[in-house]
Parts: sequence; C-alpha cells; structure tokens
Amino acid sequence: MLDRNRVKAHLEKYIVTYLFIALSVLFIVVSGLDINYVASQLLLRLNRNAFIVLALIIPIVAGMGINFAITIGAMAAQIGLLLTINWGVTGVPGILLAAAITLPLAAFFGFLIGKLLNKMKGQETIGSLILGYFANGAYQLLFLFIFGSIIPLNSNVTIVGASGVQNTLNLTGSVGLYTAIDGIAHIPFQLALYLFCAVLALAAVIQFVRKKITRGRLIAALAVAAVIALVFCIPAVANVVNGNHGRELKLPLVTWLLILGLCLFNSTIMKTRLGQKFRAVGQNQTVANASGINVDRTRVIAIMISTVLAGWGQIVFMQSEGIGTFQTYAAHEQVGLYAGAAILVGGASIDRATNLQALVGTFLFHSLFITAQSAASALFGNSAVGEYFRAFLSYGVIAVALIMYAWHNAKQKKAGQLNLAEQRAAKN
Amino acid sequence: MLIASAILGYVLQGTQESVTGLEQMRTNAVLHAASEGLINSIAQQARADKLAELRKDKNFRKRGLDEVNGICDAAMNEARAEAEKLYANPAVQDEAALQSAISAFEKALSEAQTLSVAERAVFSDIYVQLVDNTSDWKAIAGEGIADDVVIAALGKTAPELLKDANAHLQPGFVRLARDMAVKQQAREDAELQTQLLTALAVSVPDWTEYAGLTGDDLWAKLVQEVPQLENGAAFRDVLLKDAADRIAAAEKGEILSAPAEAEEGAETTGETLADYQYFIPTEDLTREESEKNTSYEELNRQLTAVIPDLSTLSGKLQNTLRDNIEKVLWLNDSSFSARYNTYRAHQTSSEQRGGWKMELASMAKALLLAGMAVLLLGLVVFFWKPLTARFGVPRTIIALFFVYLCLLSSLYNISVRMMMGNVLERMTMYGVLVLAMMPGIQCGIGLNMGMTIGCISGLLGIVLSLQFNMTGFAALAFACVSGALVSLPLGWAYSKLLNRMKGSEMTISTYVGFSFVSLMCIGWMMLPFDNPKIIWLLSGKGLRVTHSLLGSFGHLLDNFLSFSVFGIKVPTGGLLFLGLCCLAAWLFSRSRLGIAMTAAGSNPRFAEASGINVDHMRTVGTVMSTVIAAVGIVIYSQAFGYAQLYTAPRQLGFIASSAILIGGATVRKAKVSHVLIGVFLFEGVLVFGQQIANSVVAGGGLSEVMRIMISNGIILYALTQTGGGRRA
Repeated sequence: MLDRNRVKAHLEKYIVTYLFIALSVLFIVVSGLDINYVASQLLLRLNRNAFIVLALIIPIVAGMGINFAITIGAMAAQIGLLLTINWGVTGVPGILLAAAITLPLAAFFGFLIGKLLNKMKGQETIGSLILGYFANGAYQLLFLFIFGSIIPLNSNVTIVGASGVQNTLNLTGSVGLYTAIDGIAHIPFQLALYLFCAVLALAAVIQFVRKKITRGRLIAALAVAAVIALVFCIPAVANVVNGNHGRELKLPLVTWLLILGLCLFNSTIMKTRLGQKFRAVGQNQTVANASGINVDRTRVIAIMISTVLAGWGQIVFMQSEGIGTFQTYAAHEQVGLYAGAAILVGGASIDRATNLQALVGTFLFHSLFITAQSAASALFGNSAVGEYFRAFLSYGVIAVALIMYAWHNAKQKKAGQLNLAEQRAAKN
Repeated sequence: MLIASAILGYVLQGTQESVTGLEQMRTNAVLHAASEGLINSIAQQARADKLAELRKDKNFRKRGLDEVNGICDAAMNEARAEAEKLYANPAVQDEAALQSAISAFEKALSEAQTLSVAERAVFSDIYVQLVDNTSDWKAIAGEGIADDVVIAALGKTAPELLKDANAHLQPGFVRLARDMAVKQQAREDAELQTQLLTALAVSVPDWTEYAGLTGDDLWAKLVQEVPQLENGAAFRDVLLKDAADRIAAAEKGEILSAPAEAEEGAETTGETLADYQYFIPTEDLTREESEKNTSYEELNRQLTAVIPDLSTLSGKLQNTLRDNIEKVLWLNDSSFSARYNTYRAHQTSSEQRGGWKMELASMAKALLLAGMAVLLLGLVVFFWKPLTARFGVPRTIIALFFVYLCLLSSLYNISVRMMMGNVLERMTMYGVLVLAMMPGIQCGIGLNMGMTIGCISGLLGIVLSLQFNMTGFAALAFACVSGALVSLPLGWAYSKLLNRMKGSEMTISTYVGFSFVSLMCIGWMMLPFDNPKIIWLLSGKGLRVTHSLLGSFGHLLDNFLSFSVFGIKVPTGGLLFLGLCCLAAWLFSRSRLGIAMTAAGSNPRFAEASGINVDHMRTVGTVMSTVIAAVGIVIYSQAFGYAQLYTAPRQLGFIASSAILIGGATVRKAKVSHVLIGVFLFEGVLVFGQQIANSVVAGGGLSEVMRIMISNGIILYALTQTGGGRRA
C-alpha cells in the first residue's frame, strides 16, 4: 500500500522535477520540432554538460551548497586550453596537456576558494557566486593585459597590435582540439542502450549473489533494464534514434566512459573515509567537529575536488561536437548558472545530490533549453520570448530551490522548538 | 628625501643654465628630426631599389619570402649606416639664425594651435550638445528644409550656435544635420528590414509549402501570408533571398532561426566625440595658419642650409618631416619636464642630454608626487590601528587608493576639475539607488540584492510616462509616484518571503532579483504598450531596449539651477534631491519607527523581548528599500538620459551594495553618511581610474576589470566579516 505521507514527502521533494517533466513534454509537443532532432540535440548537450554538473555533487554533500565557483575551475581549464593552443599541441595529447595544466591550477584555486568559503559559512552559495564574478575580473586582467605582454604568447592567439588574447580562438582545423575526445570512437545509441541494460542486469545479479542487495531491488533493477530494452524494441521509439527516419544517434564512447567514470568516482568516494567525512560535515559541523573531524580542511578538500572536476568538465565541453570555437571572455560565464540549475531540476537540493539526479537534471534542463525558443514562437509568435524564458527558468529554478530549502529548514527549526517546548511542558 | 630632491629639481628648473640648455636641446631635437627623416627616406629608398632589382631577376620567384626580405633589409641597413655617417651630426654654421627661425616657428605654431584648440573646443561643445540632445534629425534637416530653418532648429537645442561669434560654424552644422538625417534614414531602413525579416521568420509555419515558387509568385504569396511585407517593397530582394534560404533549409529538414532584433542604444554607451570634418575655421585662425606656414618655410630654409640634401625629399616626405618637427615643438603641456622628455628622445649623444641637473629638474613633479605618496603610505601604516578602528579596513584602503589616483591624474595631466564634475554627476545618478540599500541593512535583511524589484517598478513608471507622452517635471513626478506605487505591493510580498527565510536572505534575494529581471524581460515583450515611440516598430509589440528620455525628462533634475564653479558643472537639482532624500532617511531613522526598526535589525531577540514586532519591522524596512529603489532608478535614468529595460537592471543591486560597503557600512549597520561617502569614493575611484587606465594602457578594459574586482571584492570582504563559523 502507498503511504500517503511518503507520497506527499516525495512530491514535495521532487516537485520541481515533475514540473519540468510536464513542461518538457508540453514544449516538445508545442514547439512542433522533429522528435529525432530534439533527441539528437539532447544527446549532444548531455555529452557536453553532464561532466560539469556531476562536479557539483561533492560540495553539496559536504554541506557547502551549490558551488557556483566552478566557473573558476572552468577558467583554469581555459588557461590550460589557451596554452595548449599556443604551443600547438593537437588531438588527444593536447587535451591531456590541457587537463594536466588544469589540475594544479584548479586545485590551487580550489584551495583558495575553500579557505575563503570557510570564512563565510552559511553564505557559501552567494559567496561562491560573487567569488565567480570577482574571478572573472581577475581572468580578464590575465587574458587582456598579462598574456601577450608579460607572459609572451604566439601571435596566432593574441590580438594584433595590442596586448591580450583574441576574443575567439578556433579549435577546429590545424588547432586540432575539436572533438578530440568525442571523435575517438562512436557507437550507435541503441546498441549503447542495450549494453547499458545488460550491464545493469548483470551488476544487479552479481550484487544479489554477493548478498549486497535484497530480492526486491534485484527484481526492480531487472525490470528497469528489461523495460528500457523492450521500449527501444518498439519500432516507433527505435526509429527516433536508429536513423531509419532522420539521422542516427551515436554516442561518443570515450566521453561517456569519462562521465560514467566520474559517476563511479562520486559514488566510490562516498564510501571511503573521506566520503564519510564529507557527509558528516554536511550533516552537522558541530557534531563532526566533536567527533574529531577537521571540518575546515574537509570542506577545502571538497571544493578542491569540485574545482578540478569542473575544469576537466569544461575541457570536455569545449572540445565537444558543435562548439568548435573558444569564446575567450564568455565561455566560462554561464557555467555555474546552467550547471546549478540543471542539478536542482534533477531533484537535488542545497544539501543532497546524487549522480542520477545530476544526469536526469541535465537531461530535463536541456530538453527545455532546446525547445524553449520554438515553443515560445509557436505560443507567443515571438522567439525572443523563448530566449528570456530560458534565462528565467535557470534563475527561477535556483531561486525556488533556495526558497524551498530555507523554508524547509525554518519549518524543521520551528518543529524542533515546538517539540522542545512540549517536552518542557511535559516535564513541568 | 624625495620631496627635498623635488624642491631641488624645481629650483634647478629656474636657473639660466637650464633654460639655455633646454634651448640647445630644442635645436638639436629639430635637427635630429630633420636628419632622421632624411636617413629614413634614404634607407627606405635603398630597400625599394634592391627589391626592384631582385624582381628583374629571373630567379625571383624561386627565392622564399624570408630570403628576399633578408636581402632587402641588409641593403637597407647598409644604406642607413652610410647615411648616418653623412647626416647624423650635421654641422651648424649659423646657429643664431637657426635658433631664431625655430623660435619664430614655435611661436607661430603655438599661437595658431592655441586659437585652433579654443575654436575647436567651442565647436566640440556645440557638437556634443546637438548630438546628445537630438533624437530626430529627420524632423530638423530632412529633405526640402531650407538651410536657415535648419539653423533655427539647431539653435533651439544649442543656443551658442546662434551667437554672432559662432556664425562661421553654421554651414558646417547644417552639413552635419543633413548627414545625420541621411544616417537616421538608413538606420530606420535597416531596422525595418530586420523587423520584416523577423516577421517573415516567425509568421510562416511551414516553408516547404513555398517550395518551387520564385520571384513575383513567391512575393505575392508571402505578402498574403505576412501582410506587413507590403510596407517593405524596398527590401524585396533581401526578403526574397531570405525566403529562398528558408525554403532550401526547410527542404533539408532544418529550421533557420529568426534574426536577432537590432538593439539600438549603441551610441548611448560612450561619450560623444566631435567630428572635425564639419569644423570651419574663423578668418583669424586662417590668418594664423598662414603665418605659421610662412615661418615654417623660413625654418625649412635654415634647415636646408644645414643639411642641403633635405631639398631632395619628395612632397609627401616633406609633410611627414613637418609633422615630426611640429610634434617636437608643439606640446599640449609646456612644462619643463614635458619639453625635456620630448627633446630628450631626439638627442643622439649623452652629452647633449644636459647631465644630471637637467634630469633631476625634469623629474621634479614626479618626485614630488612620489614623495607625497610615500609620505601618505607611511602615515597610513603608522596610524593603521586607529584609522581602521575608526573607518574600517576597506574604507581606509579605498580612500588611500582614491588619493593616489588623484596624484596620478595630476602626473598624467588629467584635469582634476573636470573629473570632479563627472564624479558629482555620477553621485546624483547613483546616490538614491545606494540609499535604497540602507533601510534593508537597518531592518536586518542585510544587503538587499532584490532591490532590482524596485528598480523594475521604477522603470515601469518611466515607460508609463513615455506611453502617455508626458514631459518635464510632470513626467518625472509621475514616473516616481507610479513606480513607487507599483513597488509597494511587490515589496510587501517580497518582504513576506524574506521573513520566512531568515539567515539566507542575501542568497535568496539575489536569485529572486535575477528571476524577476528575467521574468520582466518576458513582461517587457508582452505588456500591451502601444505608443509607437517606445515599441518595436514593425512587430507592433514589445518595448525597445533603450529609451531616450531627452524628449521627456532626461537631465531635467541635473540641469535644474545648475551652475559652474571653477569649471566644475554642479548638477544642483540632482544634488538637492539626493540631499532631501538623505535628510528624510536620516529623520526617519531618528523617529520612533526608525529606532524600532534599527533595533529589530541589529538585535532581533532583544527587540522581540522588548515588545517590538520584528517581522513587522523587517517588512517596513524591505518595503522602504524597494520603494526608494523605484525612485532611485527614475533619478538614475534622468541623469543618464536613457532608460534601459530588459537585463540592464540585473547588476544594480551589486553596484549599490558595493558602494554602501565602501562607505563604511556592514551587512548589519548602515548610516546616511555611509551612503554619501560610499557613493563619492566608489564613483570617484571609477571616474579617475577610468581616465588613468586609459592613459596608461591604450584601449579600455582595464577600468572595467578594476570595477569588477573592487565591486565584488568588497562584497566578499563584507561576507567574510559576518558568516564565519555561524553555522558551526
């Protein structure tokens, strides 16, 4: 039997997600876009953005809210990419070089961010947002006035006749970074899906045999795998992705291995001692402190990991299909906003988030992103409205999530106070 | 010590030795400029000859570019070395004659330039006045309007133009007005074209229906579908091409996006610069110019006597030579050090540079400023503790920074007075907006980033006043009042939200503000305004991004009772209004309600215990902040001269926050004095910083970087002062 309270709690928790599902369906129908087109765009955007969104999870678990300072990770990655382009390293080695440069830079920046956020506990979300803005100033200083004059660069990346880096850098052609990861190998989406179902089923069985999960969960996992596989056997559904009607959807294999690797990393680290510390700090700093955890240090580590991952995520984003140019002064600006909105859409909140929520959120957020413009021009006869609607969705989702979180906390506090008062009354 | 050496430097500047030394250097510099010109021309000629010779060679194409360049450069250097031997140290026979020729030319040049600068300044003033305050050039100087009518119309905007002394400028401005009218027509055409293209893109659902149609058939069917196109027969070809592209794309299953609507208001961002092609000199100036030319001929004769080969230079090179000599002799700034540095760059040997005394004399000013800077820094460091205790760390640092900027601007010869005028103007612009932060802080919600809600209400008031074609003080008052009225319920609802979110108001208000701005972007598109002056012309709905207020109440308050002191234009009305608002806020904070509100903000528990309804007080403060923000944006827009909608208000909360924090407020405590000091320091640093940054690094950007870093850095600092360990 369904417990009414549990249903209510579930709805309260996932209301934004359900709203977005409803909106997505509505928009896809209203926009009149070809479903094959929507699916291919969606896949493209998932490839690009999933990694960065997943980078937000650890700070959330560690109780530091949405880390909008991942823009700083993105900036570190852009420094790495700039140097890579400057030195003319192409292809996979180029990407590896950029990632290698990003690692120490982002870790160092993350360290500083962590130190600063420790001084503004309880205000991390706004603090990291403003820190991102501040860093944007420093970034412009570096790219406009220091690169090209104090730090010499090749003329192919600098502005002719002035100091500073060009507005847009090309990643295609001889620069050779375009689709350097995406382009290594592709597999058809349908095949990938079947493989995924098989792996899911196999993992469930193994876990069951090793007595890690109950019979009920085994059946549930097998059922999910079977349903997904069966649904994509239906010709009407399969046609959306298999290229019989429109273009065939293909999955960039290495990118997805990276994304799945990061999911695995996120869930594995939570089982280690460090992960336990993250969780303890996130739940209650006073208790964590009392039990001998160095709270400040744990928080710094969480932000460092997040910043490095965000940097790598930005590299994945920049090399991905359909980007091709590096907008030197704008590429990082919306990273925090879109990633934060995406993970919140997936049902994460300010203090809890999972891999699945991040992936579902990215999927839903971008399905609205793709269709908003066409839907708005169909509904209001004006495509600019769609553009503004997107911005409203991004900010609105974050505002609603923040409000609901604060409200929930205030309610709990009140309930706690009431309980306390009742206990006192009972004592008397 | 620095100051002592500076004084010594100033003394040295006055000695006879320095004066003659400087004259000697001037002669050398002119000679050097002349010989350098000759040497360069010989070297270039040699290079060109070598290249021509190589070209004749059969093997020319086989040689690489680098090789050819190498050969030519070698030839050039050789020729240069030879020429330098010949001309680098010309022997002067009649030094007195040369000196006097130089002096004569310098005098004529200086007179002509001074007059020219003065006349051009008058021209520039009128030009800026006209261009800044005219929105409809077609009405003034459209086709078929006679010249004297145009002048009369221009005179209404710029009365200076009608004065007899400026009559000679009139034909130039008539030409300007006609050109502007033509440009305006072109711009309107372009806008119409974009709008037609947009209409085409959004009104046709399925382009495949049009496949196969071309030319007249396609046009007829399109006009049937999109009736607006009838107005656009002039753009038929462009529209047909666009339609053909869309059909082709549709057949491939793609959909081309609509063109972005052109945003106007690009001209609003920068300062208007006069275009001197419309400048007409007076007879006096023409005479001075001809005198200048005669004296140059004399100088040129003298120079040719020293270096006979100068006469071989071509006409173009002669002009370059003259430009170079003028650059040596005519300096904007005739101080000792400026002259010394200019001449010094042209000296060939170190003996000619006049030794350490001259060097020291030239650096007197820089030394003096450096001395003062070091002295100040020393004082600040020495009194660090009492200073920071009294004024707070950020205010001390920013104030010191501001003083340094003033010293630097003196070094770069930037007019401090003009800058001060700008600072005053910007104070009236931002003052009320910054004041809006105060009640928010006092009542305990901290930095009210959601003040954008009030700003948008104010913008709504402005747009309403434009919709009803109101002008003058009536429009200003209407915009303020209607904006405030709209902001009342919004502010109330917003305060109710914040009352439930105690502890995370700043985060939430930021994002509520952001969301509201984006929501209103849709609102500006959809609201049923229909005055053709404020909506997109062709689509017939949606407000434009930038609205010029010049026809209604732009600069109205600032020009009210405005006067000039020491060349500083004082925006009296704006300052008075700011003063009144501050006075009202100060009186309020002294009232019973104000005291109760401050108490509720600074210590909610204590206030609750003493019978104050904290939530109620927070509501009062939030609503006040929102309403003041609504009035503030109206004042801001009148000072700016334009109202900007859509995403423009998004960052205003941050700007206002950083200003009040710089003034010494914290997220818990704020006073009227913090507002005034903050807005002065913040705008002062920005105005001075921008000018200095522009003279240090060519091209803007540095000042913007500075603004971003100061503004966000100060907010971060304020956050670190409060948040630490609160949750632990």
